[in-house]
Amino acid sequence: MKHSYAGRAAIVGIGATEFSKASGRSELQLALEACAAACADAGVDPRQVNGLSTFTMESNPESEIMRGLGIPELTHFSRIHFGGGAPCATVQYAAMAVASGVADYVLCYRAFNERSGRRFGVGVQDRPAGATAEEAQFAFTSPFGLLTPASWVAMFATRMMHEYGVTSEDFGRVAVADRRHAATNPAAHFYGQPIRLEDHQASRWIVEPLHLLDCCQETDGGQAMLVTTPERARDLAQPAVIVEAAAQGMADDQHMMRSFFRESIVGLPEMGTCARQIWETSGLAPADVKTAVLYDHFTPFVLAQLEEFGFCGPGEAKDFVADGGIELGGRLPVNTHGGQLGEAYLHGMNGIAEGVRQVRGTSVNQVEGAEHVLVTGGTGVPTSALMLGAAG
Amino acid sequence: MSADDLLTRLRALVGQQGPVQSARHPVNLPAIADWCDAMGDGNPVYTDEEAAAKSRHGGIVAPPATLDIWDRPGLPAQPRFRPAAKPPAADPRSRTLRLLEEAGFIGVVAVNSELEIARYLRPGDVVQNTQILDDVSEEKQTALGVGHFVTTRQRYETSDGEHVGDLLFRILKFKPSSGQQSTGTSPAAAAQARPAPDPSPALRPRPGINKDNEALWEGYRNHELRLPRCNGCGRVFFPPSPRCSSCGAFDMGYVVVSGRGTLYSFSVVHHPQVPGFRYPLVVGLVELDGADDGAGRGVRFLADLVGVSPAQAEVGMPLEIEWLDSHPALVEGATDSRGPITVPQFRPATPTRREDTLTAGSVQEGQRLPLWTLPLAPTHIVAGALATRDFQDVHHDRDLAVQKGSKDIFLNINTSLGLMERYVTDWSGPDAAVTALRVRLGAPAYPYMPLTFSGAVKSVDADTGRVVVGVQASNELGPHVTGTVELELQP
Ligand SMILES: [Zn+2]
Repeated sequence: MKHSYAGRAAIVGIGATEFSKASGRSELQLALEACAAACADAGVDPRQVNGLSTFTMESNPESEIMRGLGIPELTHFSRIHFGGGAPCATVQYAAMAVASGVADYVLCYRAFNERSGRRFGVGVQDRPAGATAEEAQFAFTSPFGLLTPASWVAMFATRMMHEYGVTSEDFGRVAVADRRHAATNPAAHFYGQPIRLEDHQASRWIVEPLHLLDCCQETDGGQAMLVTTPERARDLAQPAVIVEAAAQGMADDQHMMRSFFRESIVGLPEMGTCARQIWETSGLAPADVKTAVLYDHFTPFVLAQLEEFGFCGPGEAKDFVADGGIELGGRLPVNTHGGQLGEAYLHGMNGIAEGVRQVRGTSVNQVEGAEHVLVTGGTGVPTSALMLGAAG
Repeated sequence: MSADDLLTRLRALVGQQGPVQSARHPVNLPAIADWCDAMGDGNPVYTDEEAAAKSRHGGIVAPPATLDIWDRPGLPAQPRFRPAAKPPAADPRSRTLRLLEEAGFIGVVAVNSELEIARYLRPGDVVQNTQILDDVSEEKQTALGVGHFVTTRQRYETSDGEHVGDLLFRILKFKPSSGQQSTGTSPAAAAQARPAPDPSPALRPRPGINKDNEALWEGYRNHELRLPRCNGCGRVFFPPSPRCSSCGAFDMGYVVVSGRGTLYSFSVVHHPQVPGFRYPLVVGLVELDGADDGAGRGVRFLADLVGVSPAQAEVGMPLEIEWLDSHPALVEGATDSRGPITVPQFRPATPTRREDTLTAGSVQEGQRLPLWTLPLAPTHIVAGALATRDFQDVHHDRDLAVQKGSKDIFLNINTSLGLMERYVTDWSGPDAAVTALRVRLGAPAYPYMPLTFSGAVKSVDADTGRVVVGVQASNELGPHVTGTVELELQP
């Protein structure tokens, strides 16, 4: 079924801090800098904002953002759970809010000192007795040493290799593409530092079958997007980037990055749930999409996403990524900003900004004819996706 | 004395023979049975009159790995009762070792042990051996230090002179602290090398136990692998939930499953390293036997694997449960109100002993033997040492072993060979004839370090039935023994 708010909301401003390994500032300051920058990009006074949307993992409460931006009143504030699965859903909630008249301008934001502060890669640890369901969900993984996102993803990757004959080199091709794109993006952490497949293969193990270069970096920074209606967008500073479709997805026997108990663990059915809604709502097909931003905290799931969205058949992604298939000039350039492996790990929010730039035609690695850009949220987690497009 | 002079004097001993050493008792059934118990060897040709009569041997035989145990001296007198110094041993190896020690080569380590079997021993055989000094190497630089390899060969006969086998034994006598300095470590690598975290299982992250999963954890304490089962419709599933998604019942029970299963997928964790685990850590997703989820597939369970190196982990490998009482100190009066935690782990499924015997024609070069992980307990080490009539205190007395600089008691060579023989004949079947057991000795096997045997067929001669199986037994310290077992099968 087509979502009724689709096409009735637009991203009109994007703003980010620099991406670094040590910001030297508070997470709240990073969030406010990003939000203010997004408003400035759109030419909107922050005091006009009356909606906020962010992650449950976000440490900066809406009240502090409101105070910092001088917002007189908020009529919408929403949060999305499950870590990196949330980014595209912040825009979806914002789009629903503006399309339904609940709010006029909604800022979507995410900011953290994830590198210099608490690092997600360290993983989960001890859990208390009398645990909540949220805590108890780790009871059957933590005591066995499966504590980190890398270790969870590796479990899926091993099975992909077993069932589909995917190799570590196939995963490495994702890293090579990301780093090639980051190399020409001055905002990227790995600007000017492309890698070869040999570098990927030679990098140390983090969790077999994942090498260091299969894993995203950890970043300090903030990213925000301003969403309003296409009507209001006409008077603003930037061309509107229409939310052509947005979706959230969970699927059968869902767990947070540990959906190990499903009939098959070589796909991402929650991303399939998003894909179905994105195609139905946008009325587009994979052939209409010339570039995509696919969530890449770890390389193996980029392959699975290509399959879930139908860019290739199940088990065929390893062929799709061969011979530069997802690099500039290839079948489907992916993560033209460098992705989270190359630009920054901002829980996918920086990927939405790249989707906006591609539609605006301002990406440093611009893809010709990028009228519709697919952007996805976290993989392995309950997730979200967006189709962005130019105003008609 | 110059090195050349020393070598000349050592070489003069080569070829010399020692006195004949004779067994005090004939090969006998009780000692064979004790050996079989210690090794866990169920081969009926050693203990079952009827089965043995039908075998190639025509009657009960002693396990071939026992060749060199029968004529060993018994338990030596304890030091405080020991009479005044005995005259120094006159056999050529002892004389060689004395010469080397006088020259400063005071360290000793066993390097190779090779048993060649001419014929299986039978109850009633009285065994004797004569030692020949086979070789003394020139001075060599080894990782332990400069030293000489000393090789002896012992020829085993029955008391009436029938040749039954030979033992080649090689030791290294070395000058301690003359080993090669490690020059290959870069300062950067040295800075990166952090000490491994404390692997004590008590330091593992605790599970969040609550009303929805406590029945499972209660079962683990009793070494019972429970899975949630709906009392309404009988559905078995995992992980737990208070409501059955099939029938809607809130009435949750459990089933107890065997803990056997197959590896569905795995991760090998290298970083980050946290207390409570040894790295690299192999964590497995296991499809359990006997726990059909109703859709015809086994319910999956997740736990770390024991005795499986990263290279040995393989999707589809058979596994069985092992229990880790991760907080043994936290019983009554514990510092943690939650009390002891027991966690399931999986090890390679213990291979079953083959009842019939493979023919050489049915064996392929490169064919792998199933892994066998022995959770080595002190009892294995002590029982093995005594059953192989090896009364050196480092194999049965922890205090003395520690006093002598060892971490703990450790497995003696004859038990390693016995386990290796069992591993291969359990695979080949009872009527394979072992013609040789050859090993290079490596890291010691201490108690509580699971010892994993792996093997692969190195060569097959279908005409003669001669099959050579390469075997390695490793623990967390590295390879313990690496070698071959040579078999004769029916062509
Ligand atoms: Zn039920």
